[in-house]
Amino acid sequence: MHDFPEVSRRKLLRTAAMAAGAVATRGFGSVKKLFAQQSEVPDNEKLLPTFTGPSQNPYWNSVGPLVEYPQKSPLVLLTDRPVQLETPRHYFESTFTPNEAFYVRWHLDEIPNTVDLANWRVSIEGAVDRPLKFSMSDLTSKFKPISIAAVNQCSGNSRSKFQPRVPGGQWGHGAMGNANWTGVRLRELLEAAKIKQDALSVQFQGLDKGKGPEGHASNEFLKSLDLKNSVLDECIVAYAMNDQPLPMLNGFPVRLVVPGYFATYWMKGLSWIRVLDKADENFWMKTGYRVPDNPRGNTTPEDVKAGTVKTVPISRMPVRSFIVTPDGGSKLVAELPLTIRGIAFSGYGSVNKMEISISESFSAVSGLTTKKWTAAELGEDHGPYSFRTWTHRWTPSRPGRYVLAARATDGKGNVQPDDGVWNPGGYLWNRIEYQEVVVGRSS
Amino acid sequence: MKRSAIWFVVFLAALAAAAGGLVYAQFDAGYYSQRNPGAIMQPTAPEETDGATYGVTAYPLYPPGLAPGPGREDVQSYCSTCHSTRYITMQPPLPPETWTAEVNKMVKVMGQPIPEDVQPVIIKYLQTHYTPETRKP
Repeated sequence: MHDFPEVSRRKLLRTAAMAAGAVATRGFGSVKKLFAQQSEVPDNEKLLPTFTGPSQNPYWNSVGPLVEYPQKSPLVLLTDRPVQLETPRHYFESTFTPNEAFYVRWHLDEIPNTVDLANWRVSIEGAVDRPLKFSMSDLTSKFKPISIAAVNQCSGNSRSKFQPRVPGGQWGHGAMGNANWTGVRLRELLEAAKIKQDALSVQFQGLDKGKGPEGHASNEFLKSLDLKNSVLDECIVAYAMNDQPLPMLNGFPVRLVVPGYFATYWMKGLSWIRVLDKADENFWMKTGYRVPDNPRGNTTPEDVKAGTVKTVPISRMPVRSFIVTPDGGSKLVAELPLTIRGIAFSGYGSVNKMEISISESFSAVSGLTTKKWTAAELGEDHGPYSFRTWTHRWTPSRPGRYVLAARATDGKGNVQPDDGVWNPGGYLWNRIEYQEVVVGRSS
Repeated sequence: MKRSAIWFVVFLAALAAAAGGLVYAQFDAGYYSQRNPGAIMQPTAPEETDGATYGVTAYPLYPPGLAPGPGREDVQSYCSTCHSTRYITMQPPLPPETWTAEVNKMVKVMGQPIPEDVQPVIIKYLQTHYTPETRKP
């Protein structure tokens, strides 16, 4: 502050003038209060810290700087190579996340800058009778296009909320997005290639490549799904995202869409579909992206250390919801009505119930029992795997601090829990989220 | 001038000051700060051709500042083959044993050939600057 004395002096003069006015109209008692009010004038000099922890990240997004990337609006930087970018909170006011704001997460650093569609093909190989290669024009002209609205969420979304903290991408809540995906049914491509009788699973590989030695996780990123898994019936090889070609950073020319599943399976730049006749033993299936084998994927650091945790590959996304606005960034006005807005989704099918709780004190936050839930209004239904918006009109009756909480229930009856989850990968976070807001006087 | 007239002028001045103050008291405007969070420069669009090649310009790098101290050069050279060192600075402060485990994972699982005598130097560096006890803002 002392670097800019002219600002301080001006502020002082102004305060003195205000004090004079206050004395004249309200008496000397109000002067002290006025000086206190002055300190509330926001100084745009406070920046977020460059990291959070060892406690929980207290912010909605992660704390990195906003950065510029090709085909993208400014997004929150996690890492620059491989590229990992998070979507800022306000973009989630709408059902569909704009392509230019859609989060980015790559595992390996040699990601495509250009793709030549004259040479690019998606091939189906391995345990099939008829290995095939499809060009972009094959995909768009030889198969019936199909569209689905589906949420793509990183397995590690909200990892920075874990306690104790775990290593990995320190995402806030913005490693997710919803888009209308258009493309070809994966089943149609597999049927065209005629899968062999003894085939077990189907493996996917994209255009990314790593600098690590061959045969290591740092060289190739591979994911697979069991051929018996019914999710394959809903999978799409998508060439359009919100009716546009995919941004390069989101997987141009095509990416796999696995509705309801975490994004780790949604292979970007999909180019090899490999049918396997044995279990996929590669790192990204056998070691990475695994969760404890219990309903919430919960465990403890002690059990991990003891080596007693049985794990399974991560799969469907548990039910989640978020308050998008108000975001606590500015004070609300008592007696002035506003709309609380948010989104909800579940990998287990449509969110069909949304509730909100508004508590007038901090103590009311601890524990489900003290919260009073009221129904929020659900927005348009875009199908079981889409974001669903919700709104709730609220008039804060008097000044003070309030805590807002939102809770979703999905079609399978799963309700968001009021406690966090812990596992060493930092996956499956889905607890009820809170938003603190300050309401000021209206006169 | 009569004494009462002087008091009248003083009274008028005080009234004017009070009125001015009142106007200010209703709102507050015109504050700017030179300490801003920074601007993002706009890039130009890439030149397009009508062939079948689609693409974007080079992806920008945002290298972080690593804490100064012994081992920093080894970290910079061995830990940035496959990834930016933002992978380090992005992490929350982690316990010393977690850093040991991370370096071991990079060598054994990811296959990064860090010489055996350099591994402890890198682990020591990370433990010296990036644990709950040692990390500086």
